[in-house]
Amino acid sequence: GSEAAGGEQRELLIQRLRAAVHYTTGALAQDVAEDKGVLFSKQTVAAISEITFRQAENFARDLEMFARHAKRSTITSEDVKLLARRSNSLLKYITQKSDELASSNMEQKEKKKKKSSAAKGRKTEENETPVTESEDSNMA
Amino acid sequence: MEEREGGFRKETVERLLRLHFRDGRTRVNGDALLLMAELLKVFVREAAARAARQAQAEDLEKVDIEHVEKVLPQLLLDF
Repeated sequence: GSEAAGGEQRELLIQRLRAAVHYTTGALAQDVAEDKGVLFSKQTVAAISEITFRQAENFARDLEMFARHAKRSTITSEDVKLLARRSNSLLKYITQKSDELASSNMEQKEKKKKKSSAAKGRKTEENETPVTESEDSNMA
Repeated sequence: MEEREGGFRKETVERLLRLHFRDGRTRVNGDALLLMAELLKVFVREAAARAARQAQAEDLEKVDIEHVEKVLPQLLLDF
């Protein structure tokens, strides 16, 4: 019945995801091959792809547990950082990326705020817009 | 952070993770997805680079499965 169909759907999804992972693994391996002046056998690329696919399962389960432990159902950057805890350099790298994302998110928010406060004209809200207004009048 | 060449697509990462969630309510936010794409990319590159170094240590230019097998334990420990 519908359970069998669900199982097939899932199998198809798994196949597609495996293929997607394999494709990206191939592209990344190619980069490394060029960097190091080596050749990867097809079996090697397939093996790395399979390992990555399996590792993603561990990652997914850990992330879910971290979020749940924090009483959330949405996985956030903080959970990903926890995942990267075993290697100092990895943690540093991920934290750096996370900070880059956070600051570009803030830039987006600033842009939106300025647009919307300009559109509203003189009608300002209590806390935030005064900051924008004084920036405008400073001309520094 | 845009998607770069030779990286995992956000959509792929989302589906890949969701495949293994045990709770139907679990979601991943946008930033976390981008970070996971990075993490997976680093994982693949590390695996490839370490296997390559192993082959080169054995004076070989072609990286084969046994080189991956040799570096796999430490790789998994580091992740």
